[in-house]
Amino acid sequence: MTQDVEMKDHPTPSQSLPPPPPSTLHHLKEIASVIENGSKSNEVRRIGRAVRLTIALRRRLTAPVLAAFIDYALVPGSDPHPRLSSYLPKEDDQAMETDTATSAAQTHAKQLSPELEIYCYFVVLLFLIDQKRYNEAKDCSTASIVRLKSLNSRTVDVIASRLYFYYSYSYELTGDLAEIRGNLLALHRITTLRHDELGQETLLNLLLRNYLHYNLYDQAEKLRSKAPRFEAHSNQQFCRYLFYLGQIRTIQLEYTDAKESLLQAARKAPVAARGFRIQCNKWAVIVRLLLGEIPERTVFMQGGMEKALRPYFELTNAVRIGDLELFRSVAEKYATTFNTDRTHNLIVRLRHNVIRTGLRNISISYSRISLADVAHKLRLNSANPVADAESIVAKAIRDGAIDATLDHTNGWMVSKETGDIYSTNEPQLAFNSRIAFCLNMHNEAVRALRFPPNTLKEKESAEKRRERQQQEQELAKHIEEEDDDDF
Amino acid sequence: MDPKLTEVSQLFDRFKAAFVRNDYSNCSNPLSQLKVLLTGFRSLPPLFEDTPNAVHELTIARDIYEHAVVLSVKLEDQDAFERDFFQLKPYYTDACNRLPPSPQEYPILGLNLLRLLVQNRIAEFHTELELLSSTALENPCIKHAVELEQSFMEGAYNRVLSARQTVPHDTYVYFMDLLAKTVRDEIAGCSEKAYDYLSLKDAKQMLLYSSDQDLLEYIKEEHPEWEIKNGCVFFQKAKESAPCKEIPSLQLINQTLSYARELERIV
Repeated sequence: MTQDVEMKDHPTPSQSLPPPPPSTLHHLKEIASVIENGSKSNEVRRIGRAVRLTIALRRRLTAPVLAAFIDYALVPGSDPHPRLSSYLPKEDDQAMETDTATSAAQTHAKQLSPELEIYCYFVVLLFLIDQKRYNEAKDCSTASIVRLKSLNSRTVDVIASRLYFYYSYSYELTGDLAEIRGNLLALHRITTLRHDELGQETLLNLLLRNYLHYNLYDQAEKLRSKAPRFEAHSNQQFCRYLFYLGQIRTIQLEYTDAKESLLQAARKAPVAARGFRIQCNKWAVIVRLLLGEIPERTVFMQGGMEKALRPYFELTNAVRIGDLELFRSVAEKYATTFNTDRTHNLIVRLRHNVIRTGLRNISISYSRISLADVAHKLRLNSANPVADAESIVAKAIRDGAIDATLDHTNGWMVSKETGDIYSTNEPQLAFNSRIAFCLNMHNEAVRALRFPPNTLKEKESAEKRRERQQQEQELAKHIEEEDDDDF
Repeated sequence: MDPKLTEVSQLFDRFKAAFVRNDYSNCSNPLSQLKVLLTGFRSLPPLFEDTPNAVHELTIARDIYEHAVVLSVKLEDQDAFERDFFQLKPYYTDACNRLPPSPQEYPILGLNLLRLLVQNRIAEFHTELELLSSTALENPCIKHAVELEQSFMEGAYNRVLSARQTVPHDTYVYFMDLLAKTVRDEIAGCSEKAYDYLSLKDAKQMLLYSSDQDLLEYIKEEHPEWEIKNGCVFFQKAKESAPCKEIPSLQLINQTLSYARELERIV
C-alpha cells in the first residue's frame, strides 16, 4: 500500500472539451448548476456526474479560478466563505475572468444548497492536495467533516463519500492516520444510521486501510466481519474492499479465499489504476506460491508491470526450481523491496514451499536416494542435515506432498511408482472447479448487467418492456435462490 | 504523592517480595487487589487521560502486568496468561510514545508467540508477527519463536527439540516442554505414514524416550494399532491403502444436475 492507489473514473475528454475550450471557471459554474438541479430534483445520479466532471477538471484548478468560483457559489457573508477563501492565496491577477464581476454582482440571493457548499469544500480540498499543502488540506477536510455530520441528505452522500476519502488521504500523506480512526468510526456509525450505503462502503474501506497501515490485522478483520454488507455501489470501493480482504486472509493463512479476493480485485480494477493492480498482483503471486501453485509467466509480463513485478518473478523462479540457495539470495537481493511492500514476513513463510518443491522434484527424479543426498540437494545448512532431511521427508509424506517411504536402517528414501492419475478422481475435480468458475463468471456477468432506463428502449412498447423486465427479475431471483442452496 | 499511587506501590512491593521468594501462593491475592486498584487510575488504557502522574502510573501498571504474565507462566495457567497478556498489550502498542520501552517487552512478546504456537493458533501467530518491527524480529527472544514456527512447519522436529537447550529466557521452558509433547505426537503421526517399520531402538530415539518401557506404554496408549514383533514396530499401513475406491456417485449426480440446470439457463 505504499503507492498511492487512486482510482478514478476517467470520463471521456469529449464531454468537457468542446472545440473552443471555455474557461475552467465556466465549467465549474456548469457543474454547480448540475448540482443545483440535482439537489432540487433529488437525483443522486446528477451529483455523481458532477463529481466525475470535476475530476476531469482537476489539473486545471488554480487559486484565482477557485476564489472566483467560491465568490460565485457561496454568499460572501456566509460561514464557510471566509474559511475556504483563506486557503486560496489572493493575488489579483490576469487570470481573473471578466465575467466574475457580473456574476458576483448578481449574487445568489436564494438559499445556498448544502450540496453546493459541500462541493466547494471538495474542490478546495482537491486543489490543496494537488498543491501538496497537506496540513491545510487536513484543516480543510476536518472542517468539512464537521459540517457534513450535521447534514443529512441523500444527495450530499455522493460528494461526502469523496470527502471522506480525501480526509483520510490528507492525513495519510502527513502520516497521522491513527489520529482520525475514532472519527472515521463515528462517521461510519452515522452513515450506517442514515442508510448511506455509499458512505458506509467508503468509510469501511478507509478504516480497513487505516488498520492495515499499522498492521492491525486482528482489528481489521473484526471490523470487517461485523460491518454490514450489501451489494457494492461503487466498483472502485469494491475493488479496494476485495484487496484489503485478500490481505487480511493472507495474513491469517486462508490462502484459497485470499487468492480469490486478490485476483478478483486485480481483474475488476480499472485499467488506469496501475499502481493498485500492481499491488494486487504482488500479493496474488505470493499467495499462489504459498498455495503451491506457480503463476504463469504472462502474469509478470502485463503491460507496464514488468519492472515492478521483477523481484516477484525471480522469487517465483526460485520457488519453481526448489532451490533454497537461490531463494535465499533473491530474498536478500530484494529485501528492501519486500520490506517496503510489507511482504517480507510472507516471503519467510515461503521457505517451506521451496523445500517442498525441491523434495517433489527429487522424488520424481529418483526411485531411491540416500537422505544425505537429499539434504545436500535441498542445501539444508544445519547442524544435523540428515536428521533434518529425514523428518522433513516424513512430514512431506504424511501431508501427501510426495509418495514415498523411508528406510531408516539404510538411511534412504524410496519413491513409489507414480500411479495413473486418470484412474483417480483428480481430473474430474479439476474439471468441476473449472466448470464452476465459468458458470459463476457467467452468473456474475448477468447480475452485473445494468439497463439505463428509457434511453435506447424507447421504441419498445410498454407491454413488451414489462414482460422483459419481469423475465429479468425472474432470472435474477432464480440465480439468487440457486446460490443459497448448496449441495 | 498521590495516596492511591503509594498504596499501589506498597502492595506491589509486597507482591514482588513474594514473587522473588517463589512463594506463588501468596502472589495471586495481592495481584488481584492490585488489578482492582489499577482500575481507579484514569491515565491508564483505555482512557489515557493526561494526569500529572500519568507516566509513573503507566510504568507501574505495565510492570504489574508484566509480572502477572510471568506469574501465570510459573503457575502454568495458559488462560490467565492470555488474559494478562491482552491487558498488557496496550502498554506496548498504544503507550509506546509516552513511556520508555520496557526491557521485558520482547521476552514477553516472544513468550506469547510461543504460546500461540503451542496452542496451534498459527493464524493468530502470524497476525501478531505482523505487528512487530524489523528490529523486534532481530531480537533473540522473538527470533527464537519465529524459527521454531518455521522448523515446525517444515517438519524439522529435531531442530524444535534442540531449541529447548537454547531458550533465551527461563520462562520459556514451560512452553517448550508443552511443545515437545506436541512434537512427539507429530513425529509419531509422520513415522506411521513414512516408514513401514522401525526398530525399537530407533523408534525410542525418534520419539525421545529414554527407556523401552516408556515407549511401549506410549504405543499402548496412543497407537494401539501399531504392532510390535521381532524387536521392530510395524506401522500397519497396508490395510488402509485399499486399492478399490468407491465412486462418489451422489456427488457426481449432484454436479451433473447442476451443470444441466445452469446450461438450461444460459441457452
